[in-house]
Amino acid sequence: MRKTTRKAWALAAGVTGIALVATACSSSDDAGTDGDDATADGGNITLTVATFNEFGYTDEMFDRYEAEHPGVTIEQKVAATSNEARENLNTRLAAGSGTADIEAIEVDWLPELLLYPDYFEDLSSPDVEGRWLDWKVEQATTPDGKLIGYGTDIGPEGIAYRADLFEAAGLPTDRDEVAELFGGDDATWEGFFEVGKTYTAATGKPFFDSASAIYQGMVNQEEAAYEDPETGDVIALDNPRVKEMYEQVTTAAATDNLSAHFSQWSDDWTNSFQTDGFAVMLAPGWMLGVIEGNAAGVEGWDLADVFPGGAGNWGGSFLTVPEQGANVEAAKELAAWLTAPEQQIEAFTNKGTFPSQVEALDSDEIKSATNEFFNNAPVGAILANRAQGVVVPFKGPQYFTIQDAISNAIVEVDVNGADPAAQWDSFVQVVQGLG
Amino acid sequence: MSAPSVPYIRQTAGAGAARAAQRSRGHGSERRPGWVTYSLLTLAILVFASPIYYAFLLASSDAATIAQNPIPSLIPQSNFLENAGKVLASDINFWKALTNSVIVAVITSVSVVLFSTLAGFSFAKLRFRGRTGLLLFVIATTAVPTQLGIVPLFIVMAELGWLGKLIAVIVPGLVTAFGVFWMTQYLESALPYELIEAARVDGASMIRTFWSIALPAARPAAVMLGLFAFVGSWTNFFWPFIVLGSTNPTLPVALQLLQASYFKDMSLIMSGVVLSAIPLLILFVVAGRQLVAGIMAGAVKG
Amino acid sequence: MATSTTQPRAGRQLPDSPRPPRRVGFSQTLGRWDVKVSPYLYISPFFLLFGLTGLFPLAYTAYVSVYDWHLLGGQGDFAGFSNFAFVFQEPNFWKGLRNTFSIFLLSTIPQLMVAVVLAAVLDANLRAKTFWRMGVLVPYVVAPVAVSLIFGKIFADQSGLANSLLGVIGIDPIKWHGAVLPSHIAVATMVNFRWTGYNTLILLAAMQAVPRELYEAAVIDGASRLRQFFSVTIPQIRPTVIFVVITSTIGGLQIFDEPRLFDQLGQGGPGRQWMTVTMYIYELGFGNQKSFGRAAAVAWVLFLIILAVGMLNFWLTRRIASDATPKEARRKKVKR
Repeated sequence: MRKTTRKAWALAAGVTGIALVATACSSSDDAGTDGDDATADGGNITLTVATFNEFGYTDEMFDRYEAEHPGVTIEQKVAATSNEARENLNTRLAAGSGTADIEAIEVDWLPELLLYPDYFEDLSSPDVEGRWLDWKVEQATTPDGKLIGYGTDIGPEGIAYRADLFEAAGLPTDRDEVAELFGGDDATWEGFFEVGKTYTAATGKPFFDSASAIYQGMVNQEEAAYEDPETGDVIALDNPRVKEMYEQVTTAAATDNLSAHFSQWSDDWTNSFQTDGFAVMLAPGWMLGVIEGNAAGVEGWDLADVFPGGAGNWGGSFLTVPEQGANVEAAKELAAWLTAPEQQIEAFTNKGTFPSQVEALDSDEIKSATNEFFNNAPVGAILANRAQGVVVPFKGPQYFTIQDAISNAIVEVDVNGADPAAQWDSFVQVVQGLG
Repeated sequence: MSAPSVPYIRQTAGAGAARAAQRSRGHGSERRPGWVTYSLLTLAILVFASPIYYAFLLASSDAATIAQNPIPSLIPQSNFLENAGKVLASDINFWKALTNSVIVAVITSVSVVLFSTLAGFSFAKLRFRGRTGLLLFVIATTAVPTQLGIVPLFIVMAELGWLGKLIAVIVPGLVTAFGVFWMTQYLESALPYELIEAARVDGASMIRTFWSIALPAARPAAVMLGLFAFVGSWTNFFWPFIVLGSTNPTLPVALQLLQASYFKDMSLIMSGVVLSAIPLLILFVVAGRQLVAGIMAGAVKG
Repeated sequence: MATSTTQPRAGRQLPDSPRPPRRVGFSQTLGRWDVKVSPYLYISPFFLLFGLTGLFPLAYTAYVSVYDWHLLGGQGDFAGFSNFAFVFQEPNFWKGLRNTFSIFLLSTIPQLMVAVVLAAVLDANLRAKTFWRMGVLVPYVVAPVAVSLIFGKIFADQSGLANSLLGVIGIDPIKWHGAVLPSHIAVATMVNFRWTGYNTLILLAAMQAVPRELYEAAVIDGASRLRQFFSVTIPQIRPTVIFVVITSTIGGLQIFDEPRLFDQLGQGGPGRQWMTVTMYIYELGFGNQKSFGRAAAVAWVLFLIILAVGMLNFWLTRRIASDATPKEARRKKVKR
């Protein structure tokens, strides 16, 4: 009796096992063209597009392209966050295979990727000449002139503010007046902090959300903050601007107490949207959705067409074509199509990703786009305005290490109450230890 | 105090005697514990279950409410089905991910148990050259941090052409050093030499001995190892993410996609978490008794 | 296939026994082969698979550690031990070590104590045994990402649940993400939540195997429940306790997921308050520097540290858990 039972179990296990293993071996997805072994039977190819967050590409868009290009099937692979996508891409580049035909990248990855441009195809072509804003193209071009990415979206910034909190402080509430308050097209950071002092003096509440975010806005306007573009040397400690900006921000945060002392994206920061935690923040287009989500039920948010220092850009993505792919020509074509003004406008309508294409910025859809949550502000026009005159800072291989170090120092001062001078010394130590 | 072990009794005197021995060995004669014990246990279970309950609270609410109040309510709201529906209908490939997770988890847990018991039997009871050294080597390998193993492992998978296929997730999980160590340790004390000798004397081959003596004796530990391996495989995220991606995902990879936007809808994400935990909880409820019985089949140290 | 009860040991068979003589020769050779080869055969699946998925990465990492190796740039010059030297003078490495040990102690020690006590409680003759015993494993079922999201809300510095509760009893808010020790406590709590039930079940299985007679003898000798626990239970489950201590040590020094998800950036805090060594390895290899070589060097240093601590814990546990009852005599291995 026991023998039979045991044998029966063994048999069942064996059969199930074989069945499962068979399924496992065959259940790769139907178009797993991960890299070299792409299916290319008689002209039929599959292109994989790897994106993250929300690029705004829909299946309808892909279907349209497939209809116009018979023999091409498109598959989109999505990563939830840009960090995960970056890990994925780096692993596959390091291993030498496995990248998708089109890989989306973020502007922050470029300083590093531009050091190894051989991983990517040169995408320069007369067909796309002049399609994008100059500074956007510049971000993805190597010193030798090789273009490794077609721009998708950008993050021009305005100032998002709480009109109701401004009113309580006796400040103007209409967005044009607020723009004037900050200085209009000649707005400066000093002016920004002055408004902050007025607000905090009147209400006793914090003005902006996070000191490190403000610093980010400032340093992104510096042409060469940490490294010398010609020689590549680290100049972070010699550049007086760096110490200046650091002190400006830490004074505003700690001494004048203009900061709400949050680290962006932390739970505290998220929760503070509901508790009137701060009145103002630097807002690129994609941040508007975040504010709306976090501040659900709160009324009074608006967007002003002004930015200290004139213009600032935070974020933005590109589509690249890794050279290890099997269908680079077809991939280039698809990438060019996806980043054409028409498609980018469609993506904007879908997910709010703000276009980087010149024609798109001039289009009716952008010019007339408004955002109900932000008091029906003409966000399209505002952000298009703010996209003019962006300075592309030079970012070399050490840029982000230095930036992280100073950002950490600022967070320690702002959030954890550390001593600014001591934190500056730690920052200096990190920079000196480089290389 | 060398009472014969239950498997030994089963071998020599049959199943009935074994059951009797186990019953008397069991703690049936001990007095029932009092309310202090039960209060302690209830407290422990409440503590353990509270985060999941919290997840369910969030999952049954909606984004706006959660934004306004980190603890939306003490009792679940009504949105869970709606959120769950959104998760299932979204383009994260939920059902495919569920199927994949089941396949991977079942295969790896069965395989881990089988191979670990084989190796454990060898290390614990068989004598061969290099035994101690190899065993120490096995244990030492668990001390190696795995974070960097991703790149070489990925290279191996790429060479074999397994990228994007489930087998790339299964093969690294087929046998674990922990499992080998665990079975070795257990069989060391739970499998008396008399049984093996008896079988060998009867002319049983090694494989027969393994199948008929070692496996049954190892059953408690094997069940537990299988359970741990199953759950571990089910919740594994990073390697499947790197090697499978979003088109052929396992459940944690697919659910991660719910976070794919700048603003994270907590109620949706938590719905995904709850949906992912449900199959395991069902497994616990349905197979719980067998699992516990299997684990607790006290093989007494002889 | 049940063997008959009393089988004379081989070799004691009388020469003129009525039983037909065994066939000697080939089958006996086969039998001897069986014994010699089987052990290696049985451990080979493990080693084969392990060679592919475990050993190769191990060797690769060792090779990488002596080179200047950029993740994207590829193999550079031979660097000898300069990667190791660099790492030892990096403040972040030492911070990582400090954090790792602190979190390890804060998580492993309470965890094991709770697991032992809980296992002892579950060992009793409970009603609804299955419910209680499966119940402790529930935290293990929830994905680490979810646990972090949930605990993040509890341990938020300003708006978290923990600080609200502390406020109710009149304690000032604690900087869970700002100060060193509180952040360790928070991370350790997350780790304990996930793994206590797991260890409880392992210890419970061992406790179930303790023969009743021992307890009865102790009761007759007048031992209280507590005395029974320390003098009977613990020594009897000593091998399992050793096993649990070793695996917890190895796992505890490699904690990665929980501290990584403790905040959005994953760096272990602006001042590296809770960055563990495995996080440091990850940052070196995949972070801004992408120095694969240095990351590999740290990985090997950690490996050696874990080995050392593991052995120390093994020795410690043996001493602590030993007791007056004589150790089980090891079975003599039967020679063939």
